[in-house]
Amino acid sequence: MKLLEVNDLRKYFPIQKGIFQRTIGYVKAVDGISFDVHSGETLGLVGESGCGKTTAGRCLLRLIPPTSGSFIFGEEQVDLAKLTHREMRPFRRRIQMIFQDPHASLNPRMTVGDIVGEPMRVNQTEKGTALQDRIVELLESVGLQSQDIRRYPHAFSGGQRQRIGIARALALQPELIVADEPVSALDVSVQAQILNLLAELREEFNLSYIFIAHDLSVVEHISDRVAVMYLGKIVEISDAETLYQSPKHPYTEALISAVPLPDPNAQRRREHIRLEGDVPDPSQPPTGCYFHPRCRYATDICKQETPELRQVAQGVRVACHHSDTLELQGV
Amino acid sequence: MASVEKTSHEKPLLEISGLKTVFPTDDGIVNAVSDVSFEIGPGQTVGVVGESGCGKSITGLSLLQLVPSPGRIEAGEILFRRNGDDEPLDIAQVSPKSELMRQIRGNEIAIIFQEPMTSLNPVYTVGNQIAEAIVLHEQVDKKTARERAIEMIARVGIPAPAQRVDEYPHQLSGGMRQRIMIAMALCCSPMLLIADEPTTALDVTIQAQVLGLMQELQAEMGMAIMLITHDLGVIADLADEVVVMYAGRVVERGTVDDIFYNPLHPYTQGLLKSIPVLGKTPQKTLPSIPGTVPHPLGLPVGCSFQPRCSERMSECEQMPELAIVNAEAESCRHAVRCWLHTDF
Repeated sequence: MKLLEVNDLRKYFPIQKGIFQRTIGYVKAVDGISFDVHSGETLGLVGESGCGKTTAGRCLLRLIPPTSGSFIFGEEQVDLAKLTHREMRPFRRRIQMIFQDPHASLNPRMTVGDIVGEPMRVNQTEKGTALQDRIVELLESVGLQSQDIRRYPHAFSGGQRQRIGIARALALQPELIVADEPVSALDVSVQAQILNLLAELREEFNLSYIFIAHDLSVVEHISDRVAVMYLGKIVEISDAETLYQSPKHPYTEALISAVPLPDPNAQRRREHIRLEGDVPDPSQPPTGCYFHPRCRYATDICKQETPELRQVAQGVRVACHHSDTLELQGV
Repeated sequence: MASVEKTSHEKPLLEISGLKTVFPTDDGIVNAVSDVSFEIGPGQTVGVVGESGCGKSITGLSLLQLVPSPGRIEAGEILFRRNGDDEPLDIAQVSPKSELMRQIRGNEIAIIFQEPMTSLNPVYTVGNQIAEAIVLHEQVDKKTARERAIEMIARVGIPAPAQRVDEYPHQLSGGMRQRIMIAMALCCSPMLLIADEPTTALDVTIQAQVLGLMQELQAEMGMAIMLITHDLGVIADLADEVVVMYAGRVVERGTVDDIFYNPLHPYTQGLLKSIPVLGKTPQKTLPSIPGTVPHPLGLPVGCSFQPRCSERMSECEQMPELAIVNAEAESCRHAVRCWLHTDF
């Protein structure tokens, strides 16, 4: 069942200049992306910094207003992008967010009980002892203890704080959780604990995730399907295994090749594709395919025409003029 | 026979033994680094890996007498062979503010840090900052220094070096700033480069560029690299030898193949298993290490890893020594600090 269908989402930030704040251009942070999320599924959203993955996640929760596009959500098929703030309220509890920095996303002056209980107080779903019981239940489901309810965030390590953030996101029994880099601030041994917790919770509460991250191996581990973003556009989207084994877009190939494998022999054997240069300035993107200045397969057509995201196989969509002829290497 | 072997074997550039760096705090003395011993050979890349707070960065700073106050080196030797056959110099005995230390810093041992934005001065052009290092260490005038700076900028692969030399750090991207840091560190052809998480703040494609650049420059200039990182992939890519640290101590040490294909310490094994590896059929659950890194003021009794260790025994109440695994084989340098691999 389709839980969320995103159509042509755009978010342009105006660049203003001078005393009249005249708009002289736009940063196209998210430039027309479409994807859908099925119930119980994890969609990975991967890309380098500035590719628009976080902006896309925030637009979905209406934390920032999208410029255009529609998000059809739930069985009711409601377009969240068209709702007013008041109409949006009942939907807010059904979509929650987990943030990257567990130090910045918890109020240091609130106890853990207050932090986890706040969504339920605001939405008046529970009160009194029922609220306390529910908080304890949530803390236990993320691997914390009932006595932690009176402690403050500073008393916890990074991994435990991330657990508090996850408990808060679960408080209103959401259907969809947008997790924005939930493990990138954590140490390796703790990262594995949180990834396992997220996977367990998905089974237990039948959650769907949009998992935003820059680490390709983490995304591969947790995701059913993966979308690769570059400069505000999705360049490739398919199921995780196909994407990593036989990428169809040269950017996906280069990204996979750039990840150093923790295996010295495999690392020596691999062919390394080194992309030249940096990600272009999103206020002045290149003509044609945005990736062409760094692409080793680019031809004339890539400089002139912007490739559309099109279906090349069942469940595989790619935005590349040459995806039919290229033989790209996976992991 | 053995002595012949020894003399033909090149002497290590840097020999660290029993290094202990402490930070006095109001709540007690924190042993950030204790009993750390390893060697770095000329032209070799030694990777130091561990989680945050394990003491890997403080080890790097200790080598340059740059430990931030009130921290200090309390014990141990850092023997540095400045020129081939001479008596080695013990850096641990050199005063941090002495003229001698200043000559070594940046000239013979250079360091690059994680965050290239905070380690470059925003009010000077990058050319000025590179030239400053050259003027400090070599008798050259400003004009020559500037030319050398341009040459170095070109060498680290930045296009249009003659224009870039007059730009400020904020005008450059993260990857280019890190290249400038590398140019600055290498302008005096150091014998040892300490790279403290050099690519952690960079995107994966830019990381590949910077790591490739470091490898090329190492081949060209022949310096040794001490690579401090938490990323096992980066270690596998670059390092010849690996030092694994936990709670201020070396828990395992060996060649890159020893560590990745024959890890002996339960912590090293746990660390390797807990990372998702690209292309491996995704398992349902990752084998994770339970618990968290202990607080440096409340280290457990005996082996620091024992509360999290699945192989805990009664001996673990005492701290094991770092011992060579196969002492009979002369070439074996694989060492581990664990009672499982220590003969009683």
